[in-house]
Amino acid sequence: MRAMLRRLAPVAFLATGACFATREDVRSLQSQLDAMRASAAQADSARQAQLDRVIASLGLVRDSLGVMSARVIKMQGDVRGDLYNIGQELIQVQELTGQSQRRLQELRAQLEERNPNAAPAPAATRPSGAAAPASPQGAPTGAQPASPGPNQLFQLSLEQLRRGSPAAARTGLETLLQQYPTADIAPDAQFYLGEAYHAEGNNAAADSAYAVVVEKYPTSPRAPTALYKRGLYMEQQGNLTGARAMLNQLIQKYPRSDEAALARERLRAMK
Amino acid sequence: MPRSALVVCALALLTLAARPAPAQDTTTQRGVRIGLTYQPGTKPGVVVLPVTGPDGDSVRAILQRDLDYGDRIEVITGDAITSTASTQTGGGGSAINYGVWKSLGAAALVEAAVGPLGVHVVIHDVTAKRAVRTGDFSLSGAPQSPEWRMAVHGISDEIERWITGVRGIARTRILYVRGNRVYVIDSDGYGERAVSDAGTVLAPAWSPDGRYIAYSRLERRGWDIIVHDLVTGSSRTLAATPGGLNTTPAFSPDGKSIAYAHGDENGTDIYIASLAGNGRAQRVTVGRGTDNISPSFSPDGGRVAFTSGRSGHPEVYTADVDGSNVELLTPFNFGDQYYRSNPDWSPDGRLIAFQSLLNGQFQVMTISLRDRTVKQLTSEGVNEDPSWAPDARHLVFTSSRTGVKQLFVLDTESGRARQLTHAAGARLGAWSHWLDHVQ
Repeated sequence: MRAMLRRLAPVAFLATGACFATREDVRSLQSQLDAMRASAAQADSARQAQLDRVIASLGLVRDSLGVMSARVIKMQGDVRGDLYNIGQELIQVQELTGQSQRRLQELRAQLEERNPNAAPAPAATRPSGAAAPASPQGAPTGAQPASPGPNQLFQLSLEQLRRGSPAAARTGLETLLQQYPTADIAPDAQFYLGEAYHAEGNNAAADSAYAVVVEKYPTSPRAPTALYKRGLYMEQQGNLTGARAMLNQLIQKYPRSDEAALARERLRAMK
Repeated sequence: MPRSALVVCALALLTLAARPAPAQDTTTQRGVRIGLTYQPGTKPGVVVLPVTGPDGDSVRAILQRDLDYGDRIEVITGDAITSTASTQTGGGGSAINYGVWKSLGAAALVEAAVGPLGVHVVIHDVTAKRAVRTGDFSLSGAPQSPEWRMAVHGISDEIERWITGVRGIARTRILYVRGNRVYVIDSDGYGERAVSDAGTVLAPAWSPDGRYIAYSRLERRGWDIIVHDLVTGSSRTLAATPGGLNTTPAFSPDGKSIAYAHGDENGTDIYIASLAGNGRAQRVTVGRGTDNISPSFSPDGGRVAFTSGRSGHPEVYTADVDGSNVELLTPFNFGDQYYRSNPDWSPDGRLIAFQSLLNGQFQVMTISLRDRTVKQLTSEGVNEDPSWAPDARHLVFTSSRTGVKQLFVLDTESGRARQLTHAAGARLGAWSHWLDHVQ
């Protein structure tokens, strides 16, 4: 034990000797520490200031983004509103166009009624030897009245149909289609021929007339209506397969028409 | 002459033949005429002689009122009539001094007597100086009861048919909403009674036979269509499209189905459902998110008129009952802020009545289906919700001309209007067909 103590004594002396620093050393160390702390605090302050500036910048950016976002949203809303208004105006224009076309057609009919010679020449090819219609210009018609125009025939026929005389209407429409097969009003005449047959209770003939509308005038607005009516007729006849085919054809050919929307519902109801 | 020229001549002649007479003269129309002649624009003078028998005075008062309200006959009344009538006994024309009646302006005399079997009626042609028509009518129910009054109204209608060739509109009733109930009233403004339970109710409508009425009522799950049987007093809900908004019902002319507006988050569209309740409701309009309401069938049941907002603001459209062949009916100009709505198809199929917003107020108008000419019928106060009488000549509508909403009846040919209801707040009138099988 004593030998061990003798061996450790110089080590303990050396170790404790380091603790005997002078007061000057301590002050120096203290000042160095203070300097270091001040430097660190200054650096922290600078960093904080920089951070604050960054945060402020971010806030500004965020606010700007918010304003931009609001503007974009408002613009989107405005665009949507404008698009809706444009859509509504387009619908109005479409309705008014239809209204104007009807009015024009009525005016043409009136014009034809007042000035029969102004009626367009019948475009149908006549069999050889058949009597030619009255010439619109200069023909020596004498007391023979000139042919009525297609619009006049159409108006009178439609009037008969509306007042419940489908047979008279049908005669007028058939004459129109025979005399003026290429007239603008021909698709409408063919469609209303189907309506006249339907009003007479002859649904098979009506279906045939509608079929002609679909085949002969596929670009007419009457075509989807005629297809829809054909589909409904087949459904009434119990021919569900044919009805489905007809309604599917309608949806495929005229997907944006009102009749296509109705056809989709009919198909759902038929399942 | 070319075939087409012949066709157009035939069509034109048929069209001309279909046009109505320019004035009140209805001598060419159907029915049994007694040979009266009068100038167009004038009405034949008719005297209803004092009615003998029990409750004769009431019968006479109803006959006079009904003939007057029909607007085709000038009912002659006054002191001279009373004193002349007291000196003549009638009795098949034997004691009638036709000369005196002619000098008082009468073209025809109505002589009636109430007996144990009913009412015996004789029509005298003053010019021909003879009785030209007789008829016997039964009366049912106690005097002044709804059944009794209806029977007397039926006599009035037949007398009007005998004299003018056109049936009167007395044997009809009008449905309307007042407060929280649906009411019914006779065409002469008498016999008002509630026919629905209390609730928030709208848009009453008649079935063609007058047995059923339909209306829209607010329930917990939304607006439902209620079908009420006036004979049994039972009610049921039309369950074709449950939930959401179901309103503005209209019976088809055959009475087998009901058209109505059904609304949900996808807009409001018109559907047609079987009254028997079998099968799904069939869609009629494709509104694409817009509102389509207030259907009204054409007399043949082939087309439907309705209000649609598809062009940006409400207008009246027509379509086939299968939903195809849609046409804008009421004309409007681009950017027009005013609108037109609530159509009602006339029973003769020639006109559609509707309400049009003019200078911030609704007015009642008609549009011709032949040439689309529009005629404004009202101008005083707010006038809306027109409904045709079965004669296609009279309209009932809601008017605020007295300061509160009341129902008025308008003769569309003469412009004469009369107030039908007198309790405040009557609106949404719906005129029945002839109630031949309803007491």
